[in-house]
Amino acid sequence: MLLNHLTLHTPKTTLEAARLFKELEDIKVLAGGTFLLNSLKLLKTKGTKTSKNILSLAKVDDLKGVSVDSNNLTIKAMTTITELFESPFLVDNFEILRKVCRNISTTPIRNMATFGGNLTCRYTWTEMPSLMIALDATLFFMTPEGKTTSISAEDFFKNNARSEYLFTHAVIAQDAQARLVYRRVRKMSDVDQPLLSLCVKTSLNNNLWTKTRVVINSGIAFAQRDYKVEEFLNDKISSSDLGLKAMDNLTNAIYDTRSSEYKQHMFRISIQRAIEEICKSN
Amino acid sequence: MQIQLTVNKKLHTLELKGNETLLEVLRDQLGLTGTKTSCQESECGACTVIIKGKSILSCITLAANLDGQEIRTIEGLAEGDNLHPVQKAFIEHGSSQCGFCIPGMIMSSTALLEKNHNPTQSEIEYALDGNICRCAGYPKIIEAVRQAGHEMDQGA
Repeated sequence: MLLNHLTLHTPKTTLEAARLFKELEDIKVLAGGTFLLNSLKLLKTKGTKTSKNILSLAKVDDLKGVSVDSNNLTIKAMTTITELFESPFLVDNFEILRKVCRNISTTPIRNMATFGGNLTCRYTWTEMPSLMIALDATLFFMTPEGKTTSISAEDFFKNNARSEYLFTHAVIAQDAQARLVYRRVRKMSDVDQPLLSLCVKTSLNNNLWTKTRVVINSGIAFAQRDYKVEEFLNDKISSSDLGLKAMDNLTNAIYDTRSSEYKQHMFRISIQRAIEEICKSN
Repeated sequence: MQIQLTVNKKLHTLELKGNETLLEVLRDQLGLTGTKTSCQESECGACTVIIKGKSILSCITLAANLDGQEIRTIEGLAEGDNLHPVQKAFIEHGSSQCGFCIPGMIMSSTALLEKNHNPTQSEIEYALDGNICRCAGYPKIIEAVRQAGHEMDQGA
């Protein structure tokens, strides 16, 4: 057997899942399983105790799907990365999300891995956190009583991606003026684990950078914004040298922590190129 | 716990403990050893099966989580003595070297070609990005996928 003994719970509604999530002790949530199953197997080979209760969300149909309501895009937790990529709602308005989905891992993993798993698995290097922070997404959770609570993606990751309630969906407001660039540097490794990734978003208003977000995922800590460079970029006019000028305004502590020189260099290059790409696109 | 799985159109009622992966159930309980055990950590694709038309890794799938679902394995592609076009093309192109990765390659190729009979080179490479061939026999594999697509297109 590859896995230790476990008790599998397969609720059929979100409310049932939310109750079990709160009530059961020693529990792990099983979404697509691409992180969890490998993790459980690895722990078993090391002789480490693994969680007794596994809460599978596979049968909870109301946790699946992508929809657009007025100007908001809603992505439910159990939507797979492939389903998200193939969703017609992402074409034109959320192309950046399609681009990110397309580049996640491999085809069978994308067929299995879920949006919710990628976002809330508490691995620091996954793709969705920086993108959701850049898009100013709101994350929704269900309490065991069936009530909904929400938190911004940024605050969720400031809280180390911890929640006592079950993640159900994310909502992203559409912004026609938004320009986004996502960049990722892949680490040569057995698994597709990005060395670093980042997302730069701005709303261009007559060439003027506004509401800028520069979100950094170092792979070591949870994704976070670089407020200093955002402040520098806001109210600037797009220009060919804006990316280069921005390099003197980075919050160095974000990039220097336990990062190699190569990684720091790649961060600088990636941010500069992302800014240049936005300037050129206008 | 008791679950029902339809594997290659045959219904099975299974008594499981809950911690069995689909790979273990296919091989150890149903004797379907065409699905290969290799890395067992979702990197190599040798254990690929098809569920709902999509390539899925059976080594990271809990069998008990699939109650009521239909699964296709390499054994379910041929109809009697008639090989599936993808299987035929792999033979005709000499796509198999050591052969260990081939069931997974064929399942991923089948999932692709059932949706798209005429994939481009990059679409084939993208669909097979989760399948590793340690013999590095990729060119012949890709040629076979292209030919199989052509045959499936003509047969459609």
